Amino acid sequence: MHEVLLAAGPLRHGTVPLGEAIAFWVLGPIALAGAIGMVLLRNAVHSALSLVATMGCLGAFYLIQQGPFLGLVQIIVYTGAIMILFLFVLMIVGRDASDSLVETLRGQRWAAALLGVGFALLVAIGIGRAVSPVTPTDLNSPNAGGNNVHSIAALLFTRYLFAFELTSALLIVAAVGAMVLAHVEREGPRPSQKRLARERIRSGRPQPLPGPGVLSQHNAIGTPALLPDGSVARESVMVGSMESQEERQALPTPSAGEGGFE
Amino acid sequence: MSPVALPGSGQNVPGFGDLPIWLVLIKVLLVFVFLVVMTLFAIVFERKVVGRMQNRIGPNRVGPWGTLQSLADGMKLAFKEEIIPVLADKAVYWLAPVVSAVPAFLAFSVIPFGPTVSMFGHRTPLQLTDLPVGVLVVFACSSLGVYGIVLSGWASGSTYPLLGGLRSAAQMISYEVAMGLSMVAVFLFAGTMSTSGIVSSQDHLWNVIPLIVSFCIYAISVVGETNRAPFDLAEAESELVGGFHTEYSSFKFAMFFLAEYINMITVSALATTLFLGGWRAPWPLSLWHGANAGWWPVLWFVGKVVAFIFVFVWLRGTLPRLRYDQFMHLGWKTLIPINLVWILAVTSIHVLRDRGWPAWKATVLPLGIVLLLIVVPALMAYEGYTARRLAAAAEDDEDAGREEPTFPIPPLDLRVPTSPVRREPVTAGLRGGATALDRTIDHGDTSDG
Amino acid sequence: MTHLLLAAGNTAVSTPSVSYHALAPIFIVLGAAMLGVLVEAAVPRAERFTVQLMVTIVGLVAALVVVGLLHGTRTTTPSPTGNDAFFAGSLSIDGVGLFLQGTVLALALVAALLVSERSVDVGSPIVASAAVVVGSADDRRLTTADRVQTEVFPLMLFAVSGMLIFPIANNLILMFVALEVLSLPLYLMAGLARRRRLLSQEASLKYFLLGAFASAFFLYGLALLYGYADTVDLPGIFTAQQTSGKSDVLLYTGLALLLVGLLFKASVAPFHNWTVDVYVGAPTPVTAFMASCTKVAAFGAILRVLFVGFSSAEWNWRPVIWAVAIASMVVGAVLGLTQTDIKRILAYSSIAHAGFILVGMVAITKQSTASVMFYVLTYGFTTLAAFGMLMLVRDPDGEATQLARWSGLARKSPVVATVMTVLLLSMAGIPLTSGFTGKFYVFRAAWDTAGPLVVIALLSSAVAAFFYLRIVVMMFFAEPPVDSPTIAIPGWAASVALTVGVVVTIVLGVFPQPVIDLASKASYFTG
Repeated sequence: MHEVLLAAGPLRHGTVPLGEAIAFWVLGPIALAGAIGMVLLRNAVHSALSLVATMGCLGAFYLIQQGPFLGLVQIIVYTGAIMILFLFVLMIVGRDASDSLVETLRGQRWAAALLGVGFALLVAIGIGRAVSPVTPTDLNSPNAGGNNVHSIAALLFTRYLFAFELTSALLIVAAVGAMVLAHVEREGPRPSQKRLARERIRSGRPQPLPGPGVLSQHNAIGTPALLPDGSVARESVMVGSMESQEERQALPTPSAGEGGFE
Repeated sequence: MSPVALPGSGQNVPGFGDLPIWLVLIKVLLVFVFLVVMTLFAIVFERKVVGRMQNRIGPNRVGPWGTLQSLADGMKLAFKEEIIPVLADKAVYWLAPVVSAVPAFLAFSVIPFGPTVSMFGHRTPLQLTDLPVGVLVVFACSSLGVYGIVLSGWASGSTYPLLGGLRSAAQMISYEVAMGLSMVAVFLFAGTMSTSGIVSSQDHLWNVIPLIVSFCIYAISVVGETNRAPFDLAEAESELVGGFHTEYSSFKFAMFFLAEYINMITVSALATTLFLGGWRAPWPLSLWHGANAGWWPVLWFVGKVVAFIFVFVWLRGTLPRLRYDQFMHLGWKTLIPINLVWILAVTSIHVLRDRGWPAWKATVLPLGIVLLLIVVPALMAYEGYTARRLAAAAEDDEDAGREEPTFPIPPLDLRVPTSPVRREPVTAGLRGGATALDRTIDHGDTSDG
Repeated sequence: MTHLLLAAGNTAVSTPSVSYHALAPIFIVLGAAMLGVLVEAAVPRAERFTVQLMVTIVGLVAALVVVGLLHGTRTTTPSPTGNDAFFAGSLSIDGVGLFLQGTVLALALVAALLVSERSVDVGSPIVASAAVVVGSADDRRLTTADRVQTEVFPLMLFAVSGMLIFPIANNLILMFVALEVLSLPLYLMAGLARRRRLLSQEASLKYFLLGAFASAFFLYGLALLYGYADTVDLPGIFTAQQTSGKSDVLLYTGLALLLVGLLFKASVAPFHNWTVDVYVGAPTPVTAFMASCTKVAAFGAILRVLFVGFSSAEWNWRPVIWAVAIASMVVGAVLGLTQTDIKRILAYSSIAHAGFILVGMVAITKQSTASVMFYVLTYGFTTLAAFGMLMLVRDPDGEATQLARWSGLARKSPVVATVMTVLLLSMAGIPLTSGFTGKFYVFRAAWDTAGPLVVIALLSSAVAAFFYLRIVVMMFFAEPPVDSPTIAIPGWAASVALTVGVVVTIVLGVFPQPVIDLASKASYFTG
């Protein structure tokens, strides 16, 4: 039985190889579920993980559609680097932080859902009708002899030469932008470790500040630590994350010696 | 028995992708068994070697010379009681060890163990599979493995694991860049990204000799990438209890342990493949013609991997852990710039040779230009920076020397206040920790810290 | 004949030939931008502002000169050599492209002068340090400090380089990358205002989110068009419409989604929602830069996509252009009427003007191409100067943009009021200003094919004229408020910029023929 099937030549499902069809019908729903979950899940980390699942499935799709380089780069760059940075930020924000879900415009969500579904249907039906008579082709000739990478390189350095080079300008802008938005320049010389230690002892509080969330119910950095008697340790949270203006003013101003870790 | 046409067989490296399925399954099983056995071996090996370095014997009770110690430990772990924290995010908590272990196994599928051999009547390479972008598979798996650590840190619902997860996210992303860049020079030299192609391109000269800079950077960055000492900041026991896996126990903890060791084996195997000639016999042995044929190469391959693992253990036995900021500085400000300059030099050498320059001229000229125009000015700038910093520190020292503050000490006539009355906990339930602490203070009992 | 040997040795790729001289303006601006980044790292802060300004001005002027030298070029680059498969060059340097490049460079030069104005506000209109948290002690100290976030100059140059490539991109992938290169710096620059920083940061975020959304539409359209034509080259898409056997649904859906992305950048209704908030929040010179240069680049790209890639599908996209042109003119004119803030009024006026420009695109003729090119030039200079004037009328906490604050301005400063009046009249399209000539040529070009549309355009420009004239009336005939705003004396930079803007507005109103001749001579495409 096994022998017979194999002898009948490559297994096919319609116009595509059977293996590709199976992989598509397994991964397709996962990718779609990930995309929907990314929008609907309330917890930001779960949402990000759903996106990771979608990205991973897309990478697998590229792989089975004969684009090994593209597929792996998709996994390395999007799943491996970008989404990890996303998670990094979400973890700093804290697991229990959630957005305000109050609608400022009444009925906006329903209208958006309706229009979104309508648009999706329109595009899906249109494209579905448009591509149904098209027969798929394979990439065997550009990939022949393990030349997938070379074929991509040849395209990048001839036909898309300028677009490829121009992305470097994009990267420079992104780097400069990150510096502009996030980097506060140091004024004056950098304090030495000795000076920091001295200032710390002069400040009257040589011991480190209590960590946030220790001995309390949450581990978000916005949640203050509790002292043994159950009261709130105000020094344990950064000033920016205190909820009210009064609380902020009630806090002691941190001196230069504290938080010397960079 | 005709070959099965796998989907997209056109993308395969010649020699792969046209095997019967049962042979592929046998290969999968062999790779799996190899990894598990190597893990058990590596743990005992590490404990024995570290023991010798510390002038002690190491495990010597279970099995002959203690060789079965890690098997016993593994069995014990699997049967231990599992504790899941109340605040853990159950789904992600469960997912994390799996995400950590599965890519570790996957990565080994493209590592070549040996040349083409005869296996049950089929001529087949000793390698599960290969792709034109084989090395990227290993790279992708290691970048997926990060999720295991990051998610375990987050899902535990506890502070130290969270910090460990944060650290490892930043650390592994940073060192992945250095690791990826160090591979680029190898790709340029070999002209391919497939692992079998890279091994076969080293038949005259191992890459470690012309690409010594890349090899050093690779070796340093994989220590960071696998979270091994001295770069094990994600699980630094003196700072973070156990780091990302503090809250894990039983089989889930074993999965992390397994993943860590498999990752170590994988990067060693990849180092062997990329730089140390893969399964090729080392020099004196390579004079014998049969050394690079048949099943012998598996022996050379395993030997090289074990030697690399020994270096890992050696590092752990010798070096203290780095401070986190120093560690990031090393990655971003040292390894990556050196790597970029090195790739520039390698590319120029390559291009000049392709243009028909004599080999020595094509090598010396770019290296000289790089040294003169980039390395020397960079070193001078660094010297100047260090000198300025030292001068500033000295100045700082002088003007602060007048009044030297000391750590505040209690006055000699301090009256120790009486112990406070014990208070009731604010709310019942989750504050168990606080209550226990109160009680400890009340009874003045600090003996068991 | 150079061969780049790929390492495997079995695949030789012929290096494509690039005509570097035709791309020189782009390389000069990009080079100046990168030099600016290095200046940021190497030059001490005291001299940084001056050096950055010099680099910017020299770079823009040099590029402008080279664009002038290139006149009459028609070439596409890079082109294949050796035995490679044929492919169309991804950049087509032709009359339309060069005219628009020149316009962008001239406008950017004037905008750069506005950005570098340091006498009307402490330091500059640009924030001292964008990373400092708003409202913190450092922030309060830096508000009155002389320091400026000088990265704004390299960012501006990067944006300009994107704008230079956007209208000459012959390939949709390159067009997308250029779109991002021009957008990304603008997102950042919108958040750099010195006063009302939270508003500015909000504007930046809004612009970024909506811009990313629009880019996604563009990409989706691009993917569908690739599915239809098997190529992303505009001439290839044109040929495919005659030869491709695939369903036209792909073509029209793709074009529609592509246009969403492009019309968003040109702030055409109904894709205009970001415009007003971003124009109000961004620092005023940056708003001037966005309102003038981005429009030129975006309409250049729309022109090329429609006239080169889709000229044979004219009957299919013409109704769409009709609809968005009408929507844009009506939204701009009607909502502009209800505003009480001059910056918002100018923002709505820019939406209305986008509609007028689209009127010129309903017919594919040489004349209409020339009229659109002329219109963006005149509108660019007028709006640049108009936003620049807003910098001069100030309250203690920044610019006084409330309409009520401007009442009776003529008594306090007749010069400012008169100049503003000239600019507003030009926007309203009153004869003897450039606004009139621009509208005249656009409407004349569209009259034969789209008579009713021109009538609607005339009606809505009459409505729009009402709110421009309302400002004029307020300035000259209303009583000034009790604590009337101060009129700042502009430094050399802003003086030059404003003078150029006003002079161009008047000269092109009175004596437009040479520029119109130039535009019609330049109205040819290559590709």
